[in-house]
Amino acid sequence: MRPHSSLKQEFLKEWIKGLQRCSFPKKSILERKKAIKLSADIAMASARNGTTCWSRALISSAAKDGSDNNHLVKQILGPESDRPAVENKAPARQASVCKKILKRSCRIRRRGRRKCGAAAAPSSIAKHLVKKRRQILRSLIPGGEFMNEICLIEETLDYITSLRVQVDVMRSLATASVRGTE
Amino acid sequence: MEKDEAFMAEVLNRTAAPRQPSWNTGGLNSATEQVGNWFLNPNWDNSMDQSDPFESALSSMVSSPAAASNVPVSGENVMMRELIGKLGNICNSGDASCYSTPLNSPPRLNLSMVSLPNQTTLAPFSADPGFADRAARLSCFSTGGNFGGLNDPLMDSFKLSPMAGNSGSDKKNTGVSRSSSPENAESGVSKEESSVSQQIPSRNDAGTRKRKSIPRGKAKETPSPAAADDKVASENDESNSKRSKRDGAPAGNGNAKAANDGDEKQSKENSKLPEPPKDYIHVRARRGQATDSHSLAERVRREKISERMKFLQDLVPGCNKVIGKAVMLDEIINYVQSLQRQVEFLSMKLATVNPRMDVNMEALLSKDMFQSRGLLPQGIYSMDSSAQAFPFGYQPQQGQPLNNVIPNITETQFSMKTQGFQLPLINGFTDANPQVGSVWEDDLQSIVQMGFGQNQPQSYQGSITTGQVKIEL
Repeated sequence: MRPHSSLKQEFLKEWIKGLQRCSFPKKSILERKKAIKLSADIAMASARNGTTCWSRALISSAAKDGSDNNHLVKQILGPESDRPAVENKAPARQASVCKKILKRSCRIRRRGRRKCGAAAAPSSIAKHLVKKRRQILRSLIPGGEFMNEICLIEETLDYITSLRVQVDVMRSLATASVRGTE
Repeated sequence: MEKDEAFMAEVLNRTAAPRQPSWNTGGLNSATEQVGNWFLNPNWDNSMDQSDPFESALSSMVSSPAAASNVPVSGENVMMRELIGKLGNICNSGDASCYSTPLNSPPRLNLSMVSLPNQTTLAPFSADPGFADRAARLSCFSTGGNFGGLNDPLMDSFKLSPMAGNSGSDKKNTGVSRSSSPENAESGVSKEESSVSQQIPSRNDAGTRKRKSIPRGKAKETPSPAAADDKVASENDESNSKRSKRDGAPAGNGNAKAANDGDEKQSKENSKLPEPPKDYIHVRARRGQATDSHSLAERVRREKISERMKFLQDLVPGCNKVIGKAVMLDEIINYVQSLQRQVEFLSMKLATVNPRMDVNMEALLSKDMFQSRGLLPQGIYSMDSSAQAFPFGYQPQQGQPLNNVIPNITETQFSMKTQGFQLPLINGFTDANPQVGSVWEDDLQSIVQMGFGQNQPQSYQGSITTGQVKIEL
């Protein structure tokens, strides 16, 4: 698929750039792995150029001040102007935090009501199940808590394709390197 | 593209079969209305396949042209004609038997005749103040803004077909409708609109001459109303039944509501001749559902969600067999988790295998570049300003590096396929030609599979390619 392979190339380019930029600590495997994964994630997210919510959330969470990855992220992002993408999250976050509070309060109220009347209707049980799973999905996708359901599914779609691209490229790189060292 | 048409035809066959008796007995208007209803029927959602963006666009187009028309009598004739034209174009390849007779011959000519005197009445409509608004929204839509950052492959696949279609035989259409658009200020928008609106008729690669000539005939005979209608019909492409309902509601509310009540009583009869286009909107709310805006909005939302769930179904392997939101969400969650775990695992593997990433990079990169279609060397050149020489010494001509690298790769399948590779690469990187590119993407995918496919679960990769091929086409 044309967009798929071009996405792969984009990702690869960005990833190589990131890997080259961040100085490999060479201390421990874990740190290296972290760096690799981080650069891969950021490459993946920047390949989207901030069009999707999850990419922005990913970058912003990685670039959070006070996190350990901060210096790495700054190195990787470097002179690129990803800062606006990072800063854009702030007002959105406030709004979403308010929404979350509202949701929680509603949920608590509903829970109380539900306990009073046994909701044995299958539809409500089904809804409950679906809601639970939606919650899990939200937690999986970066920035998922801030989306409504439609956006959630769209972002999931995008995220899945990007993850696939990531996995494919990493896998081919890994096998190639394994073969190269043999 | 043909696959898409085949899907549509198949689905039409499937869902049209049980409805045929009632449909055939009805007259022309009721037949078209029933077809329109069938299009809008929620049952349709479950049986539709890959052609979803088009279906939703179609349904909204079908449902919403009435909303935009402020001129009830003449407008609805034109809308009817438009609808018929569009329906005829849509329900085409392979399904001609069902829909040919009532949709094809007489009504179009009649209505086009009828609408001729109505040209003047549509002029004030086109000067509608909301027109520019809708036009802006449409331009947004046609550039992909409607899906709000939806998945790239989807958008690209969605854009691919209008490009492919427009590059096909419908230049006349767009040319005529362009030239016929009276206002210059909106000419740019109308181009997009005509392209969007023409994408549906232009998608009929296997379409008969008759159907293709209909938009042309329409455009020729009634230039300005056709342009206006195209604009109208294509403006409301976004699946906003809410918005269309809002537009429709103030426009002819009293009549519509009365019609609604009447419709409620006649549950399955849809022969509302005086205002059929408006009935399309409300018919959507029919079938025993409430009509208030909340439930309608709820229904729109649900339909959007189910649309997207279908995309997800095709993307996630193994989701085709399950039906039901909870199970599907479960599968999706598992899939996302597994992908994330794979990323972690692979990054760990890379960290162990490559103690020094920088040295091995070029060697690996060269192989990777070769696999990923050879476009990457150019990109790498531009990006890699630092003096890290590639050991393989890529030259700008693309034929030779392939020859150089082939002996280095041990897979024989590569050599088989790369001979095929060289031709399109030498011709120039035809990214501008999506159709050729699509073919090569499939080959590329299969190559990547074969090249590095030994360690991988084959079924997974296989489903990816099929899924991607589906999505793309």
